[in-house]
Amino acid sequence: MAQVFDIPIIARGRVIMPGDDGVHYKGRGGADFRQADPHKHIHDLVLGDTSRMRDLHDTPMAQIIDLLAELGKRLHLDDNALLQESFALALKAGGLAEPILHGVYDALPRMFDPAMMTALVDKTIGLAYLDGWVASGGDYESVSIRAVGTRQLHITAGNVPVVAAMTIARAGLTKSDILIKSPSNDPLTANAIARTLIEIAPDHPVTKHVAVAYWKGGDDYMDSQVIRTSRIDKITAWGGMSSVKHIQKFLTPGIDLTALNPKYSMSMIGRATFASEAAVDEAAVGLATLAGFYNQTACANTRIVYVESGTDDASIEQVVVLGRKMVAAYASLPPLLSTPFPTPNRELEAEMAAIALEDDFYHVEGDTLCGGFIVSKFNDRVEFYDKLNNRVVNFVPVDNLTDVLKWCDDTTQTVGIYPESVRSNIVDLFALAGIQRLVSLAGGDPLTVYANSHHMPPGSPHDGIEPMRRSMRWVVNMQPVKKPEILQIAAE
Amino acid sequence: MAGSFLPDNPAAWTYRSWDELMSIPREERDALQLEAVRIAFGRLRDRIPALKKLADRQGTDVIDKIEDVLPVCFDHRVLKNYPIQIIENRDFKKLTGWLDKLTAHDLTRVDLSGITTIEEWLKRLEAYGMLVTYSSGTTGKLSFVPRSYDELGPWKFHFFNVNYAASGVDPWTTKLPTFFPGYRGGYQTMLKMMSLFNVEMAGGADNYYTLYDTHIPADLMALSGRLQAAEDKGDIAALGLDPALLEQRQQMLAQGRSRDGDLDAWFGQLIERFRGQKVKIGGTFADMYRVARAGLDRGVTCEFAPGSILMGGGGMKGYKDAPADWEAQIKSFFGIDRMGNQYGFSECIGNAPLGEDDFFYLPPYSVPLLMGPNGEALPREGVQTGRLVLVDLVPQSYWGGFTSGDEVTIHWDDDQSETGWKAPRIAKTIRRFSEAEGGDDKITCAGSQQAYNEFMAFVAGEA
Repeated sequence: MAQVFDIPIIARGRVIMPGDDGVHYKGRGGADFRQADPHKHIHDLVLGDTSRMRDLHDTPMAQIIDLLAELGKRLHLDDNALLQESFALALKAGGLAEPILHGVYDALPRMFDPAMMTALVDKTIGLAYLDGWVASGGDYESVSIRAVGTRQLHITAGNVPVVAAMTIARAGLTKSDILIKSPSNDPLTANAIARTLIEIAPDHPVTKHVAVAYWKGGDDYMDSQVIRTSRIDKITAWGGMSSVKHIQKFLTPGIDLTALNPKYSMSMIGRATFASEAAVDEAAVGLATLAGFYNQTACANTRIVYVESGTDDASIEQVVVLGRKMVAAYASLPPLLSTPFPTPNRELEAEMAAIALEDDFYHVEGDTLCGGFIVSKFNDRVEFYDKLNNRVVNFVPVDNLTDVLKWCDDTTQTVGIYPESVRSNIVDLFALAGIQRLVSLAGGDPLTVYANSHHMPPGSPHDGIEPMRRSMRWVVNMQPVKKPEILQIAAE
Repeated sequence: MAGSFLPDNPAAWTYRSWDELMSIPREERDALQLEAVRIAFGRLRDRIPALKKLADRQGTDVIDKIEDVLPVCFDHRVLKNYPIQIIENRDFKKLTGWLDKLTAHDLTRVDLSGITTIEEWLKRLEAYGMLVTYSSGTTGKLSFVPRSYDELGPWKFHFFNVNYAASGVDPWTTKLPTFFPGYRGGYQTMLKMMSLFNVEMAGGADNYYTLYDTHIPADLMALSGRLQAAEDKGDIAALGLDPALLEQRQQMLAQGRSRDGDLDAWFGQLIERFRGQKVKIGGTFADMYRVARAGLDRGVTCEFAPGSILMGGGGMKGYKDAPADWEAQIKSFFGIDRMGNQYGFSECIGNAPLGEDDFFYLPPYSVPLLMGPNGEALPREGVQTGRLVLVDLVPQSYWGGFTSGDEVTIHWDDDQSETGWKAPRIAKTIRRFSEAEGGDDKITCAGSQQAYNEFMAFVAGEA
């Protein structure tokens, strides 16, 4: 029998291990786990009494950042047994290869860098607003505003474990009480970080406001108990459309849902690329990087590439050459970013095989182990574009890059472009159409391309919104004005 | 037994009685099927361009043992591997060119002048001698089965046989008034089979009762996703569709909204009119359950004569949260004990009737193989579960080897069946891979598929 992991419920500083009545859950990839029955621990998970948030409310940000910085120092895989356990389970249950997952875990401490966290809070919320009431000044000196922490439910995504770390950091940084519903493909990372926090400071207000548990998606009883205006103010839901839709069933006015629903990403190649072989090579490396990093498990990964190109044989051949160079460049990606897959994706291979018989319409090369590509010989993407994975990319010729607008909407997250000269013509149009991030394929080597597409200041928007700012309650405290003549003006 | 079976033309096996088909000893059947597959593949390998391409790629020239056929069976998606853009642009020359690669008939000679709709295209193909039908899966994309009039006779003999096997009533001799709670006419596979076969089984068009006397045009099925998206953006005119088609869409949507009430009223008067008579009730189990539930809620049950037949299909697809005892409720409402059922897919003629022991029995001209998770052939012995691959030996004008999207369990030991029928039998629980692989966290697109689903849910009266 496969190993079964025992997973605790984290309840505001307490660690509740599964006893004899533990519930057995089927995990992904045969990584089953056992946890105490969440139905019996509702009150350990939610916070009905808002006055209990006072401790966190009164803790200065500087002290919270100090604690989180200390936590970051403890999140090293080589000397943190809890993290090692969560790593082992994420490896079994998730979709990431070992070197990549290693890279993701190695990045955890940096997410708790104190200077970065300070900048993040100050930019998106404002430190002063978190620590006290900020007067509005001038004629409005009597009006002060404060960003107050909320009670939040986070339904986290499991495809990239940084989400767990980010969520815990943001909880402290917004002085909020959080309940994390772990995903089945990463049930332990949030858990391990929260337990590390308990080890460092069991009685700290931040520790006292973190709860973590797993329950099955669609567990109506749990959802109806947790999602009540008396217990939750804000929900952040990552992941599949079905989980978001399910949650919507329980929403009532008073609960604010931030739905970070599934996103697709793509790249666009301008016609000028084909003017020189050097440019084709550079674009190919850029595509390999954006399609290949994290083995194409992230929403920011390119899956479709729109190419300004004709559909005659000679034009299609140019696109095929670009595709071949992209697949060849996968081999040059450092293992930290991308590796060949150990097992094929049968479903995607069946789709590829079915259209490969139709060479009037498609050119298919490669496989789901080392990556591959499909060139559409007409102006449309393949119908199974939402199954593109395993570093398989669909190239679609278009007459003009603005033709791509019709495929863009709120689900279009990151758009890679090449060459840079196309940027000014498209940035505003595509922003209006719904895309959330425009990045560059230029650079010529994978680490440069990767760095260029990830080098963002702290507090940058995510999926088109500013989640931290949105997770606060902005409260206005209005005292009587001291100069009556100001009110005269307002009355007029 | 009336005589032995010859491997050269398995289509002719359909002329035998069901009991004869079910009495070939395992060893003999295996040898016969292998020889028939070998001959069919040899005959079609270089005549069907898509098969030639696949066989060349797989390096398969001959079939020496039955497992050799696995790599040269078409994935079921091959019947819809044309770009959807062809349909949107109504480029019937390209669509015909695509279909031409799947049939031995020469479709370059089909007159395509003046065609503007898929319905017209299918009609033109029929006039030419083809019998192309379509089915639409969860994405709304139509798959076209490249059948022709070459297959019509055997198809009919098989279908009559299967209906006998699933109900115990011989449709050649016993004509029963038939109620079908759905559409009528057109080229959707099930509806075309109804026009071709079921009407005759009922004893003529006047004896065949349908909820509606029209059908959803293939064009609306194929374009529903795109239509909804265009409507959202306010540029439906840009699609350049015939206004009559758009008007028809509105009618279909209105019809869908009133469907539950229509269904109830329609059935209500048939129940009265045919009280005490022998009848046949067809349709999906979901619709049967809707009718039964509505009736039972009113305290009504039917009083048809003994010997009446229920013949359903489709499982409870399209009905949410069905109770565990839905079968019992249907039987109790209609007052009919045996619920006839058949399993198959539109790509294959030789579907399997449900025996009284609750197993589906495959006729000898449908050769099953099971595929394991890594694409390997599973042993053809004992009880095995895997992806079903069927080689349909009936067609003469196209290649009948298909890999399905279904996971089934086959019991190979035919000595142990309760019915005494000698055939591989499929357990009643069948799982669609699309459901199995989807799961809770599946990332789905917000675009056309959802629009299609919403449209179809409306039309089916579920929304």
